[in-house]
Amino acid sequence: MTHLLEIRNVSRRFGGVQAVGDVTAHVNEGELVGLIGPNGAGKTTLFNLISGFTPLSGGTVAFAGRTISGLKPNQVARLGISRTFQNLRVFPNMSVFDNVSVGAVGALPQGAFGALFGGLHRSGRDRSAEISRRTWEALEAVGLTHVAAELAANLPYGQRKYLEIARALAMRPRFLILDEPAAGLNDTETRDLAAFIKRLHGQGLTVMLVEHDMTLVMGICQRILVLASGRKIADGTPDAIRTDAAVLEAYLGVDE
Amino acid sequence: MNAFENAAPADGLTRRRGLLVPALILLLVFAALPALLAGFDKGYFYQIANLALIFVLLSASMHLVTGVAGLLHLGHAAFYGVGAYTAALLTSKLGLGFTVTLPLSGLVAALVAFLVALPTMRLVSIYFAVATLAIGQMLYLVMLNWVDFTKGPNGVIVSKGFELFGFSLSGRLGAYYTVAAVVTLSVIAIGRLSHSYYGNALRSIREDDQCADAMGVSTVRLKMEAFTLSAFFAGIAGSLWAHMTGYISPGDFKFSESILILAMVVVGGLGSLPGAVIGALLLILLPEGLRALGDFRNIMVGLVMFLSILLLPKGLLGEVSALRLVRRQLGAAWRNTGPANGKGEGIGWR
Repeated sequence: MTHLLEIRNVSRRFGGVQAVGDVTAHVNEGELVGLIGPNGAGKTTLFNLISGFTPLSGGTVAFAGRTISGLKPNQVARLGISRTFQNLRVFPNMSVFDNVSVGAVGALPQGAFGALFGGLHRSGRDRSAEISRRTWEALEAVGLTHVAAELAANLPYGQRKYLEIARALAMRPRFLILDEPAAGLNDTETRDLAAFIKRLHGQGLTVMLVEHDMTLVMGICQRILVLASGRKIADGTPDAIRTDAAVLEAYLGVDE
Repeated sequence: MNAFENAAPADGLTRRRGLLVPALILLLVFAALPALLAGFDKGYFYQIANLALIFVLLSASMHLVTGVAGLLHLGHAAFYGVGAYTAALLTSKLGLGFTVTLPLSGLVAALVAFLVALPTMRLVSIYFAVATLAIGQMLYLVMLNWVDFTKGPNGVIVSKGFELFGFSLSGRLGAYYTVAAVVTLSVIAIGRLSHSYYGNALRSIREDDQCADAMGVSTVRLKMEAFTLSAFFAGIAGSLWAHMTGYISPGDFKFSESILILAMVVVGGLGSLPGAVIGALLLILLPEGLRALGDFRNIMVGLVMFLSILLLPKGLLGEVSALRLVRRQLGAAWRNTGPANGKGEGIGWR
């Protein structure tokens, strides 16, 4: 069986720094996978390599049996990989609805021609109705319909997190990558977020999340990948990871 | 109306219609104003009305690239010039009329924009602005110095006025109606481009282009499109100008004109199409209205611009208010009957 995401011998150098070195990993369809590692382990770089933000120095990435290394981020996104960002990137001067609609229109493009003449024929009207429908559904999924008309910049931090997830969901992705979704959230908010991610996963979405919050990762992920200094040092169930010697060494250090 | 027309796209969203405001605007532009102009029957007033309309189109077209897509464009007047010279040269060298030169002016300006955009579209922010400044200067210098082709600083006489398929429209009122019709149709087209999900994709590039890229938006392609389309409409404005004045010269399209158009867009409100229209009307009509003040009027115009930016940094009609206005009054949006508000405020785009 082929994996949904196949990362083979992937590496990336920034000048003299090996940010990611020879990482091989996979994600199966329907899995909820965690990616953890100490600061500077290369987690975000690995995400950027998958989503096309950073070109690879070596190796290949394949998604649904198709090589995606070398594609631009928007091409990767249209194949069904959707992501959020570590440092929260919403479109501040657009309304909540308009923010989320960008995800929908990204997956279901409306071109200049469609914008100009779409109102005149049925397929054009269907297209914008479908974009509106997907946008509204994504807002319902994260519970933000009551602030749909608000400017994104006016939302409190916690809601902006969900806005970013809604925008990613509006693309109707096959694979969702969440980069530190719990950063900056308090315990209650983190618990709610964990339940929300579990619910998304329960609906059949394949999810990968990078997270510092161990309880979150250990609590909901089926499998965990551990990176340290750009290399994969472990790959297993939460229970196996908790007792893995290499992981303990990377996180806690070890006496010489 | 088919079944789909009446169906909601999702719970909480239904269609809405608004026709009153557009009807009033059309009545003003095509009935009240021409009636007034005919009543006064002064060539000068017709000139001002046509000039204001042409600058409305220039400002609206720059709104698309600078206000919506967020690309600071410092060479817009050059594409206006390319359109005007296309019309003028096609008329003087080949004897073609307005019916043919109008679309060709737009297309030639768009083609030139497309070619210069190819290498510049990967530039960002200030670097893109400087590149457009250079492009504007280059095109201006071609108009000025390629004497054999453009007649250089002597300018070109455009011997033909407005006509439609040979039917002459060159009387004062005919010219006004031609300019008004072309500008209105173009502004409606620009409205469709900026008040749609396509427009939202352009706005997302302005807000955060990397993030837009991750959402599946082809940023480079969309920037090219916005730049090229805006040049197309500037070219259309150029053709109107050439046939309206009957004489063009490079001085009409120099850097200061680009800055004037930019000022219209900024004073009106970046990202706001109604704002761009208001900004153009203000900065054309104000100096004319203040003619009695003599040279002092330029200081007044500067003062108005300065104060409007100081007091209303988001513009006379900022983007947020403008989008709300468009959604409420022009029927461009869905009516939100969901939990957001029971008042039925417009949301999204139809």
